[in-house]
Amino acid sequence: MTSAALDPLAWLILLPMFWATLAFVLGLGRGAWLAIIGIALQLGLALALAGRLLAGGVPVHPVGGWGAPLGIDLAVDGLAATMLLLTQAVALPLAVYARSYFTGDSSERRFFWPLVGFLLAAMNALFVSADLFNLYVTLELLGLAAVGLVAAGGKVGQTAAALRYLLSTLVGSGAYLLGVAMIYGAYGSVSLSTLAPLVDRQAPAAVHLAAGLMLVGLTVKTALFPFHFWLPPAHGGAPAPVSALLSALVVKASYYLILRLWLGILAPLLAPGAAIAWLAGLLGCGAILWGSFKAIGTPNLKMLVAYSTVAQIGYLFIVFPLLGRTSPGDAALQGSVLHAVAHALAKSAMFTAAGVLVKATGQETIDGLAGVATRLPLTLFAFALAGVTLMGLPPSAGFLAKWLLLGAAIGQGQWLLVAVIVAGGLLAAAYVFRVLRHAFLPAPVAVSSRPVPRMLEWVAFGLAASSVLLGLRGMEILRLLAAGGSS
Amino acid sequence: MKRIAGAAVMLSAGILAMALVVSMFELPPPAVRLPQMVQEKLPQSGVEHPVTAVLLNFRGYDTLLEVAVLLLALLGMLAGERPRPAAPDRAPTDPVLPGLTRFLVPLMGLTAVYLLWAGAHRPGGAFQAAAVLAAAAVLLHLTDLLPAWTSLRLRLRTGLAGGLLVFITVAAWLLGEGRLLQYPVAHAGSLILFIEVALTISLGLILAGLFLFLPDDDERRR
Repeated sequence: MTSAALDPLAWLILLPMFWATLAFVLGLGRGAWLAIIGIALQLGLALALAGRLLAGGVPVHPVGGWGAPLGIDLAVDGLAATMLLLTQAVALPLAVYARSYFTGDSSERRFFWPLVGFLLAAMNALFVSADLFNLYVTLELLGLAAVGLVAAGGKVGQTAAALRYLLSTLVGSGAYLLGVAMIYGAYGSVSLSTLAPLVDRQAPAAVHLAAGLMLVGLTVKTALFPFHFWLPPAHGGAPAPVSALLSALVVKASYYLILRLWLGILAPLLAPGAAIAWLAGLLGCGAILWGSFKAIGTPNLKMLVAYSTVAQIGYLFIVFPLLGRTSPGDAALQGSVLHAVAHALAKSAMFTAAGVLVKATGQETIDGLAGVATRLPLTLFAFALAGVTLMGLPPSAGFLAKWLLLGAAIGQGQWLLVAVIVAGGLLAAAYVFRVLRHAFLPAPVAVSSRPVPRMLEWVAFGLAASSVLLGLRGMEILRLLAAGGSS
Repeated sequence: MKRIAGAAVMLSAGILAMALVVSMFELPPPAVRLPQMVQEKLPQSGVEHPVTAVLLNFRGYDTLLEVAVLLLALLGMLAGERPRPAAPDRAPTDPVLPGLTRFLVPLMGLTAVYLLWAGAHRPGGAFQAAAVLAAAAVLLHLTDLLPAWTSLRLRLRTGLAGGLLVFITVAAWLLGEGRLLQYPVAHAGSLILFIEVALTISLGLILAGLFLFLPDDDERRR
């Protein structure tokens, strides 16, 4: 009991909430150092938690000491620990980046740090929650924090994007909440551990309907094609550190929840290779093709990166038709989680690099990039390295993820999925090279370049390099994923 | 095209509503009976009313996050707005309205205190009390007795965030004693009251802020 005071599980939620509130009290735009120190501590906590899990522990924390089903349980398995670690590891460099990015008295910075703190608290709380209703509360917290970050600044385009995002995210969590209410009606509990033995193939129709509503709601929040309409304006229009946080982490949170429900309490309702699994897989294929197609066509640099996110989310859903035919730790699941990790690093690198390019050239268009190859080589290199991960070239983590997905698809003879996975890599190459080609064009004579803090360039480079080098350390991630009896 | 899409949405919403109604008729009796468990553990919760016990003790963690959601709603609203100049004071025009408000507002304050206190043993509590306080503030503003809020001074920021800070601090302190938000049975009642007082003030300010920070309609029209 004495170790409970330092339980990383509880502190991962309390700490960001505490520094977020404190940053708000400190004043508008204040709290950058508070946030950086807080996130560094959180990274330590996530590492401690992962270590505990790898040592064979099964961290569970009954909040209030009541235990489910009366109280709320927090629990961590390999999947949750991986996501926790990823979130803090990506958030820390982004916080350092944001401190240098927002200069002067910019109105976007006024509430940035409190909003980021609540965003991280919501994600950490979501990853460790073992209670359907509590998960809904974390989804609301996450959605509102994300919308606030998109709206910050109050430009007309931003407000419109934020409102569209708000309405989509509310529809998504509304559908999820309806599902939770129906499950409570059917079983009288919202605790995952209590529900797991109760849900079976003979469940009443209401439970099937609830499962459908919850999955559709979360799919809207994850921006799977054709529900992606809200993502490009929201992610493409926000300031670069916000775009990076949203694209790298926030869409992964609702995807994590889909995965957790799919492999957990909803598993008995879903026969292997069920029609709904194929629906998710085919929409994933549609996302890869449509997102890449739009990314190749858009004239705006940040919109290109945002449409690339739409495409990369597709890979996360290709996994569903491949799941559940073998043991839980199968290659398809490993591939999709590894893809989520690789994409988080690569996409945060790409948005931070794009932020530097936009700041330096003063233009948002890809045509305006001419000449940056000689002026900002480090940033352009970071963009290219992140592109290597998205294309899935060795030795990047993206390569390892695609390799595992391809292996699973070939092993099960799903040639359509194989074709789309390969095509997606080629299409990614097309939009990445489109940026690089313009960057290497000679600069126009009357070009004015603004100086950019070096820190911004180094953060982008560090994130990009880690997304590539992580491929060499992929086995460690897979070991953590399998620890603690992955759902 | 738009009409077809609208019809399709209407149709699918109708089908969903039908399916929801039909599925409700064949619900089995729930396997877990939470209300009974709440009744059994009520004596250990520190309060006598089951709703307050669930909100502040059994599922107090949900409430902690919900308070953050409310503060976040205000932050989101403020973040999306441009800073604006202070509104000029307007002279009250109607003598009856301010007079009535001056009479009503102290009563509303009294009602809020009662609701807060009553939460321990009957319907009531911090959220309800805060809603009444916020309503009083809105009434004062509408009768021009209280100007719109234009700046976030330290005192106001502390007031808005204080409830959440108190809640988090208590949660962290209790973590040292056992689990997150695990109240010792002997002190559960007083700790819950302490949190509820802090929450009432902060939530009242947050809810009032959602209205008082809004740009003035009259100014916008000008």
